[in-house]
Amino acid sequence: MRYTICLILCLMFAAGAVAKNVDLSTVPDRQSVQLTIYNSEDLTLVRETRRVSFKPGINPLQFSWANTLIDPTSVELRFLEHADELVVLDTMFPHDKPQMLYWNVQSEFDGEAMVEISYFTSGITWSADYTCIADADETTLRLEGFVRVTNNSGEDYENAQIRLVVGKINLVEKIAQLARLSIKEVESLKAVDRNQLRQQAARSALAPSEGFDFYESGGKPKEIIKEGLSEYFIYTVEGTETIPNQWSKRMRSFEAKTVPFAVKYRYRPQQYGDQLVRLYVLTNDEASGLGTTPLPDGVVRVFRNNGRGGLSYLGAESIQYVPIGDKIEVNLGPDPRVIFEIVELKSWRDNIWVQLRGAEVFRRVDGGNVDIDAKASVVGWDVHALCSARIRNYTDKTIDVEFRCPFSGDVVFRSELNPVLHDFRTVEFHTTVPAGQKQDHYFELLSRKGRNEKQGNVTLETARIVVE
Amino acid sequence: MGIRTFVWMVLATVLLGPVSPAVGRIKLITLPVRERVEIQLDHANTTLVEEERIVPLVRGVNQVDFSWANTRIDPDTIIFRVVPHAEENEDAPEIHVLSVSYPPNEKALVWQVSSSASGSARVRISYILDGLQKSFSYRAVASRDESTLTLSQYMRLQNLSNEEFGESEIWSGFGQDFNKPIGINETREMLVHRFQNVPITKTYTCNPAKFDYLDKKENKLRVHMHYVIKNDAAHQLGQASLPYGKVRIFQEDSRGTTAFIGEDWGKFTPIDDEMQLFLGVAQDIVVRRTIEKHEQQHVAANAYHHEIIVKYEIENFKTEPVTLNIAEDLEYVRREVRLEPRLPLEWELGNRTTFAGGMDKEKSTLKDVVFKVDLPARAADGATEKVTHRLHVFFKNEW
Repeated sequence: MRYTICLILCLMFAAGAVAKNVDLSTVPDRQSVQLTIYNSEDLTLVRETRRVSFKPGINPLQFSWANTLIDPTSVELRFLEHADELVVLDTMFPHDKPQMLYWNVQSEFDGEAMVEISYFTSGITWSADYTCIADADETTLRLEGFVRVTNNSGEDYENAQIRLVVGKINLVEKIAQLARLSIKEVESLKAVDRNQLRQQAARSALAPSEGFDFYESGGKPKEIIKEGLSEYFIYTVEGTETIPNQWSKRMRSFEAKTVPFAVKYRYRPQQYGDQLVRLYVLTNDEASGLGTTPLPDGVVRVFRNNGRGGLSYLGAESIQYVPIGDKIEVNLGPDPRVIFEIVELKSWRDNIWVQLRGAEVFRRVDGGNVDIDAKASVVGWDVHALCSARIRNYTDKTIDVEFRCPFSGDVVFRSELNPVLHDFRTVEFHTTVPAGQKQDHYFELLSRKGRNEKQGNVTLETARIVVE
Repeated sequence: MGIRTFVWMVLATVLLGPVSPAVGRIKLITLPVRERVEIQLDHANTTLVEEERIVPLVRGVNQVDFSWANTRIDPDTIIFRVVPHAEENEDAPEIHVLSVSYPPNEKALVWQVSSSASGSARVRISYILDGLQKSFSYRAVASRDESTLTLSQYMRLQNLSNEEFGESEIWSGFGQDFNKPIGINETREMLVHRFQNVPITKTYTCNPAKFDYLDKKENKLRVHMHYVIKNDAAHQLGQASLPYGKVRIFQEDSRGTTAFIGEDWGKFTPIDDEMQLFLGVAQDIVVRRTIEKHEQQHVAANAYHHEIIVKYEIENFKTEPVTLNIAEDLEYVRREVRLEPRLPLEWELGNRTTFAGGMDKEKSTLKDVVFKVDLPARAADGATEKVTHRLHVFFKNEW
């Protein structure tokens, strides 16, 4: 284990002058450390406390962070004790040592004081993931949420309090880029708003750290405390955790043992491709044993109790941030026990219009018996397609199926399926198919083409569809 | 090989407070062996392995290491569950997973597990393992008269996971369980089910778009012979979908043995669907196909109807009567007379179509039409009857 971040109290030089060759220094240990990690950006706010002895007069402090990914512009020193007797006179970034700075601290007293050093680093990330285990009859499931913290920052963090921020913050520059530059290079960048937005986003939302009491787990997984702040949610891991460099650690953030859910089947070609897919749909609310916090982006892995003591793997899907009260939909892909196909049964054309070439003269062709001048062309027509959405349900339960399909052009959708328009060109209808049954859901599509096309939308018409 | 690539280690020490997995530590470890393994193959393309081990735990916080060098476990799918005792036991220790740590550059993880009492716990670890894969194959033995067959369905489990599994319960998602070991790089084939007396239909089909011509200059179509198996209860099947797999077909011969008569890939066949198995080309049924007529009828302006007659001259040189399926892809026919397929097909049959019984409505679609023709057997004197049929079709409103 290596400490690459050092705070050194330089003892040998007077009035803030930095000794070049002969040094004597003391290295105050970290007393505590707190990591506030953002999952939307490669950004972590580190707050660490150290106990430092001061003498009256000027006390130079050296802070260095070799081989880490700290943004040098973000390093700040704050006095938690004797704040009215300690003042940072200036901060100096030596030209020959890019990952180092000196503070000259004016002290009015002789003794110890707790200081807090804060900075932004990159390389520490967190992510959420979820495991669902459904009952054999697929009515309720057990949902566990996890958070996984990965430390590639170059620094070991021992006994750190960990806070995880859920939400998207705004950054104008990437911390990882800043960390690779010396302070001189950073300053030469466009600096106007560099810190402001970042500082506001991170700091204003976050209260200063509390005391870091050692946590006795008592044999239970640590609780992860959730609280809302501004547009963000903060998860605070109870007690402290140690995450060495290059390690990651996964902790359970919540567990809901009996979450009711519905099994849905959907045909939405734009969203799921040209196939009927099966979904588990649950709600992030109190009635489901959830609803205390939004669910951050993450992968949901779904298993089902196979009724024989083991599990069946059903699938995995990434979900986006789920606000409290919103639905969680997990697409499990096609179900081999439910066969879905759209069968085109018949196609024909009518309402054909021709135009004499070079003239604004149009005539309708009726029944194919009207002979019109050969110097004319078809300029408008209607295409009819008689189709069936055919569903075969080989499961042992009645299934709910949703059909939502867009059609382009000037289209009339005729059926007795009680459809609705999801949007101006997307037709949606719902049906249920009992176990072991096959159903045909007939509809006719009338597409107006050429000169006949007057709109770019779908019109619904109720009509009995006759299949020969 | 026999490399134990999965290693379990349980630290038999009470660890006071948070554990730093990076800290070098002198430790006494136990190595719990696998008590039971289940290999779940019910997902279409993912294998879930579940193993049970009896893990000694002490009161307090225990560290359980799990590593899987040289194998491809998806670490994000690993689930640790404590198997409850068969009967309610109030004294059973309360066990919780506190956290999981993942060391760098290693295929390993470290669970921190708390236990309210010292003792052993049966735990079940589930994970998705790559390289342990299944496939299906079939062996069909047709009766002498080709009216039924015995269909044996096999599951082949190939272990390229680099991990050896002793006696394991293997579940394919249907049928019976298997209790078999499977070693590294081994392949094990298991009989999932044997379906007896499955009625089959032997069909002869020509379809120029799909099966092409046998001799294009002579206008002779290629005639395919198929066995058709319907996956429903009436045909002794219909319990589950038939997975994709190779079907090797044999036929009982007069000596009481069987002869190999062909093989084909059986497509995934849901319940109530048909599995069609191509056995070979039937050269004793000769079908000559010509387009006898193509005329266009002016509708208006540049719009025309196209009248087409396709003629089939058929001879059966077999000694038994057969039924021939004549299938046509109407898009193909339309292209043959150089109509650009810009518009959707609009067609209707003309009254000069000669097939008795008309179109096979169950097999035909908007694009593909199928007709059945009964062909008499070759006469005893060797003479064959030439049967002629016509498909009369109008492609309407083309421009």
